[in-house]
Order: sequence, then structure tokens, then C-alpha cells
Amino acid sequence: MTERRISRPLPRTTSDVELMEHADGELAEAEVAIRLDREPDARAKVDAVRELGELVRGHLELSADAVHDARFAAMWRRIDSEIEVPASGLWARVTGWFDRHRGHVVTGVVSAGAVAALALILRPGGPDGAGVGRGPISVQPVAMRAAPEIDALDTPGGSSTVINLDDEDGHTTVIWVSPADIVEGI
Amino acid sequence: MQAAQRGDRDAFKTLFERYHRRAYALAFGVVRHQDDALDVVQDAFIKAHKYLDRFEGNSSFYTWLYRIVMNLAIDHLRKHRKVKPVELDETRLENDGDDPLLPRILGGNPGRALQDKQLRARIDQALDQLSENHRSVLVMRELEGLSYEEMAQAMSCSKGTIMSRLFHARRNMQKRLLDLIDNPSAELVDDLLGKRADPEADEAAAASQDEAPAKRVPARSRS
Repeated sequence: MTERRISRPLPRTTSDVELMEHADGELAEAEVAIRLDREPDARAKVDAVRELGELVRGHLELSADAVHDARFAAMWRRIDSEIEVPASGLWARVTGWFDRHRGHVVTGVVSAGAVAALALILRPGGPDGAGVGRGPISVQPVAMRAAPEIDALDTPGGSSTVINLDDEDGHTTVIWVSPADIVEGI
Repeated sequence: MQAAQRGDRDAFKTLFERYHRRAYALAFGVVRHQDDALDVVQDAFIKAHKYLDRFEGNSSFYTWLYRIVMNLAIDHLRKHRKVKPVELDETRLENDGDDPLLPRILGGNPGRALQDKQLRARIDQALDQLSENHRSVLVMRELEGLSYEEMAQAMSCSKGTIMSRLFHARRNMQKRLLDLIDNPSAELVDDLLGKRADPEADEAAAASQDEAPAKRVPARSRS
């Protein structure tokens, strides 16, 4: 902690309060030091104040060391459960879900991409396009209630994940973008 | 700290593991009861986590934490107070010459003195007998090394009041330890002279005639 020293004229005999201030580093050292050389009793009082401080500090630290580790381990478990606040609201649920499944989502997007690529390569027809567009395709209009889905985005300088949610409020699409410079851990 | 602010629980656990005993020492010094002090520390870490986003990094995490601990400890005392304390010496410093500080010391070796159970029990009693405000100021000063100005801010009072509380706290502590200083027990004398390195190992030491290694007295930094 920062100690602040105040310089001011001292009386002829240094008072006990000033001795205490000196012991605590709250008075200018030089002025009091001259007095202390002339007053052995004052020097002993300053030493006594500092020694009492050492006794109190040492005693409290030893008291803290005497508390069994198990008590603090139990305390951490209570803190840990206390700070795990259940999420409320759509956005909190989404972020919570994403935090828990971040790895699976990324893996899923990559897998879906791989399957799509395979489907493109292995579809019927040769590399010259034979087999493609052999006849008219009958397209039947279908009424779609679901919103168009976005499965992935290209986000330079970061990563993105698209989450499609269906709940009682309907269909919601959440696009989660994380900058690439996030560092986990200390 | 930044990781904890981003919600990294492991990072917050690291902060807990680093500071929980120090925070406990502060809380115990003020509330004077182990279970109460543990409750205060637990609440302080929960509160610190809740408001982590408000921590701007202008001071160390512990500086921020001890303020929370101190506030909760003082709140705890107020909530569980059975008798309203009477502070007779809040602002009166003029007549302190009538009741001065004592120029007595325990041989200048508090580390060895603290090995004496009788002395430690007496320090406990003396702390218990101080008023809440006197004890709080003494603990803040001796354990955390706060300046008078910082203590005045922490306790929302004037610097003069802090000086008065601290002076009387120290003088009362000295008075209550006086008979031990003037008439130390044989064990305390041995501790001070370094003849009895570990009081708890007396019997074993007597049997083996070997001197046990001295106990280490913690000396944590104050910043």
C-alpha cells in the first residue's frame, strides 16, 4: 500500500501520536529521526509499535494457516455452484449452449461440409456431365413454413457458427461470430 | 484476471486459490470467529465474481478483494451486534500523554514470541476485547499496511478518527499484553531466547535431547 508522508514542524518533545505516525511511515523520516536520537524512550516506543504490528500480523496469518484445506475446498465448491447462474432468456440460453457445445458444433459443421462435398463428387453422372440434365425435371411447388436456413458463413479473421432453434416462439437463427484473437486461460 | 472476467471459471478458481487464506486472515481479524470469517470470505468471492466486469484493473485484484472482504466483515459485525458499541476515544487525542504508548518490547523477536501458545491466546483475547472499529483499523493497518488515508476512505470517516482509533487500539493491546511482557512465562522466555524452538515438540525434544527446527512465521507482502 502507498504510504503518505506529511512534513510539518514537530513540537519540542515528540508526542506519542507522532511517534505512532512515524512508525507507520506517515511522518517525514528525517525530522523525527533527529528527535529519536535524543529520546531513547521515544525510540523504544516506535520499536514497540512496530513489534506489536508484527505480533498481530503474524498471529492472524498463523490463524489462517491453521484452517484445514478441506474447509476452503468446501468453500470453493459452494462458490462454484453459486456462480453457476442458470441462464434466462433466449440469448443467454444460446450462449450457454454454445459454450457447452462449442467443439461439437465446429465438428458438426465440418462434417456436414464434408458430406456435402462427397455428395457432389459421387452424384450420378460422369465427369463430363453425362447423366446430368437427361430429361425435364418435374418441380412441384411446396409451401414452406420454415425460414431459409443458413448453415455456415465465411468470416475472415474469425470463426462463425450458425444455430437454428425451433421453440414455442417459432424458428430462430443465431449467427455466432468469434474474433480469432480470443485467448483462453491466463 | 482478464480470463476470469471473460467467464473462465478455472481462472477465477486460480484467483481464489491465490488469495483465500489472506482474505480469511483479514476477515478473521475483524469478525473473530472462524465460521463467520469463512462465510465472509465465501460471500466476498461470490460478490467479486458477480461484479468482475466492474473491475477496471487500476489496482491489484487483491486490493479490490480486500475492500469487499472488509465491507462484508464490518456488515457482518453490524448485523450480529448485540450491544451498541460506545466509542469514547473517537476524536480525542489531546490527552494521550496521560495514557501513553508503552516502550516495552518482547526482545524484538515477535516471530519466536508467536510460538508461545499463551501469548497467542492473549493476543486473541486482546483483539476480542477491542471495539469493532478499533480492531478493524488495527487489522487493516497491520495486516494490509493501509495508509491512514486509505483506511479513512475504507471506513468512511476522517483521517483523525482513524489515527485516534489506531492509537487507542495499539495502546489497549499493549496494556493487555503488559503482564506477559513484564512477567513472561518460562516458556515465553525460552521462546524469546530461542531455547525452545517448537513448543509442541517439547516432549519429543526432551526425550531425544535434540532441538527441533524453528517454526517459520509467515511474512507475506503487504501490497
